[in-house]
Amino acid sequence: MLLRPDRQDLSLVARFSGRVLLGLGGVMFVPAILAVAWNETNEAAGFVIGACLCLLAGMATQLPPRPRRAPDWQHGMVVSATSWLVGPFFAAVPLYLSGHYSRYLDAYFDAMSGLATAGLAVINDLDHLALSVNLWRHVLQFLGGQGLVVMMLSFFAVGGGAVGMYAGEAREDKILPNVARTARFIWRVALTWFVVGVLALWAALAIAGMPVWQGLFHAITLFMAAFDTGGFAPTSASVALYHSWLVELVIGVLMVAGALSFALHFHLWQRRTGELVRNIEIRFLAASLFALFAVAVAGLASTGAYTSTEALFRRGLFQIVSAHTGTGFNTVPGRMFVTDWGELAPAAIVMAMGLGAMAGSTAGGIKAIRVALTARSVMRQLLHLVLPEDAVTVATFHSGGSRQVLRPEVARSALMILLLYLLLYLVGALTAMFYGYPFDQAMFESTSAAAAVGLSVGITGPNLETGIKIVYILQMWIGRLEFIAVLVFMGFLWSAVRGRT
Amino acid sequence: MSDVRTRPVARGRVLLASLLIVGGLAGIVTLAELLRHPLPDTAPGGPPADEPAGDPRAEVTCDEPVPREGQERSDEDAASASRQFVRSNELYDCPQQFDGRRVRYRGEVVGAILRRADGAWVQLNDDVYADALGPLPAHRDFRGGNAGVGVFVSHQVADAIEAIGGPGERGDILEISGVFHRVDPATAEVAIIRSSEASVSAAGEPLVDPALADRRAAAILFLLLAAGLTVAERIVARRR
Repeated sequence: MLLRPDRQDLSLVARFSGRVLLGLGGVMFVPAILAVAWNETNEAAGFVIGACLCLLAGMATQLPPRPRRAPDWQHGMVVSATSWLVGPFFAAVPLYLSGHYSRYLDAYFDAMSGLATAGLAVINDLDHLALSVNLWRHVLQFLGGQGLVVMMLSFFAVGGGAVGMYAGEAREDKILPNVARTARFIWRVALTWFVVGVLALWAALAIAGMPVWQGLFHAITLFMAAFDTGGFAPTSASVALYHSWLVELVIGVLMVAGALSFALHFHLWQRRTGELVRNIEIRFLAASLFALFAVAVAGLASTGAYTSTEALFRRGLFQIVSAHTGTGFNTVPGRMFVTDWGELAPAAIVMAMGLGAMAGSTAGGIKAIRVALTARSVMRQLLHLVLPEDAVTVATFHSGGSRQVLRPEVARSALMILLLYLLLYLVGALTAMFYGYPFDQAMFESTSAAAAVGLSVGITGPNLETGIKIVYILQMWIGRLEFIAVLVFMGFLWSAVRGRT
Repeated sequence: MSDVRTRPVARGRVLLASLLIVGGLAGIVTLAELLRHPLPDTAPGGPPADEPAGDPRAEVTCDEPVPREGQERSDEDAASASRQFVRSNELYDCPQQFDGRRVRYRGEVVGAILRRADGAWVQLNDDVYADALGPLPAHRDFRGGNAGVGVFVSHQVADAIEAIGGPGERGDILEISGVFHRVDPATAEVAIIRSSEASVSAAGEPLVDPALADRRAAAILFLLLAAGLTVAERIVARRR
C-alpha cells in the first residue's frame, strides 16, 4: 500500500517543478529580445507574457517555507514527470499567440512535440510563421533534447533528489561523480557541437545558394533539430527545401552525433576512441542501421522508385538514419512513403524509428542497449539448452567504458521497457485505426510519436482528430521519460487520493 | 518518500490544490484566447471550407493524366494539359503517373531562392494560404499545413521574382510549365518539376501585422507582476 504524501512531499515537488518553470521562463526572454530586434512586436509581447507567467508560477512555488526534508529519488521522478507535463503548457503561450494555431491544444501539442524532440507538428501555415516563434520551436527541441531538468540541475542546488530527477528524465549515465557537474558537462558538449555544427551547416547552406543571414538562421534552427534529434525544420519542406547533398551530409553527421549517448561523448572527449568499437550499443546500432538500410534499398528497388545509386543512397540512407536516430527530417514528401515507397521500405523505417538510438542520448525509442541486452539474454538462454546441464554461462557486454556482467535483473528491466514501448506503439496505432486510418499508416505515425521521431505519412497535421492528438501527446510524454518517471508519477497521484495515512 | 514524515495531507486539500492548478491552467488558456489576434474567423474571399486536402483516408485514384514528355498525344490531351494546373497533392498521390510528364503548376514562392550554376531552386506552395486565403496570422481561417513542390527554374525567372514568401511577406505567385520527375535524373532530387516556361502571375506584398495594444499592455503588466513577485520572494527568503 502506498503512503499518502504529506505537505513536505507536495511542497518539494512543487518547489522543484517551479524551478524548471523559472528556467523555462528565463530562456523565453531570448526570443523576446530577438523578436524586438526583428520588429516582431506582437510576438515579442507574446514571449514576455509567456516568460512572466512562467516566472509567476515558478516564484509562487518558492514562497512557502523551505521543506525541512531534502528531496529523495521518488520526489525527483515526480518532479521530472510533472515538469514535462506542465512545462509545455507554458511554452505553448507564445506559440498560441502567434496566430497559427486554431486551439490551445494544438499549441500544447507542438510544444510537447518540441520538448520531447518528436518533431510532429500541427501548426497551420508554418511557411509564414514569424522568425522568433519559429526559433522558439527549435529552442524547445534544444532544451528538451538536453533535458528540462538537466537545465534546472545546471543552475540550482538540489541535494538528494538530483539523481532521481536526472534519472527521471531518462538519463542513466553517471558521467561525472556529481549530477550537477554531469548536467554542466552535457551542456558543454552540446554548446561545442553547436559552434561546430552551425558553422558547418552555414557553410553548406551558402554553397547550396542560401543568402548569408537567412542561411545563419536556418543553420541554427537545423542544428538544434538535428543534434537534439528533434526534426522540426524552419519550413514545411523540411530538408528537401535545400536540394543539396552537402547539407544532407552535414545534417546526417549531426543526427548521428545526437544519437550518441553523452557518456560516449565523454569518452570521446577524453580521447578514448576505442569505446567506439567496443561499446555494445554502437555495435548494435551499426548493425541495425546497415540491415535496415539494406531492407529499405531492397524495398525501393522492388518498387522501381529509385533506379540510380545516388537516389537510393541519398533518400534511403538519409531516411533510415533520420528514423533510427529519432530525428525525423524529411527529404521525401511524407505522403510518398505511402504512394511511392511500397511496403518494405516504410516497414524498415518503422522498425528504425521503434528501435531508436543510444540510451542517454537525445533520441527516443526503445534504445539500442535494451534490444542488445534482451538479444544477448535470449542467446544465453538458448545456449543453456544445448550445453550440459551443469554448465555455467555468463553473458557480458561492454558499456560505459568497462565490461559488465549481464545480470538477470538488468535483462528483465531491459525486456520490461522494451515490451512497454511495443505496447505504447500499439495503443497509438489502435487509436488512429479507431478513427479510420489503415493499420500500416497508423503504426507508422504512432511509432513516430512514441519514439519521438517526427516522420509522418500525413496523418499528423492541424486537422488531426482531438482524440489522436491527446493520445500522441501522452505517447510523446511517456516515450520521452521512458516510463519509469511516469509510473512513479501515477503512483504519487494514486497515493495522494487512496494512499495509507 | 522520506522516513521523517509529518501528517499526510487531507484528501480535501489535495482536491482543492488540484482544482487550483486546473483553474490556473484554464486561466492561462483564457488569457491567451483574449490576447489572440482580433481577426475574423473566415478570410474574406476565401473558398468554402470543405473536406481537408491530403486526408490519408481518402480514396485516391490515379487516372492516366497526359502522355509522357516526348510521347505522342492527342490534340484533346494536349489542350487539356495546357489548360489545367496540377496540384501538389495530386503529384504526391500519383507520382508514378505523373513521372516524366509535362505539367502546369501554380504556387507562391516561399523560403528562399537557391541559385545554382545552371538555374535556381524555388519552393512553390499551392496551399490555401498561398492563394485564396492569404497567409496567417492575417485571419483565423485555419485550413491545415503547407503544401508545395520544389521547382527548378532558369536564372531569368529567378531574377524576375521579387517577393519571397515568409514571415511578414507574401511571395510572388509563379505559374510554370515543366516536366515532373519522381526522381530527377540529373540531381536525384525527389518529386520536383523542371520548368521550361515560367512567369510571375501575381506580385507578392509585405504583410501588415498591426500592433496589438492590449497584448503590449498585458506584457507590461505581467512584467511588473513578475518583477514584484521576484522581489517579494527574495525578501521572504532573506528574512528566513
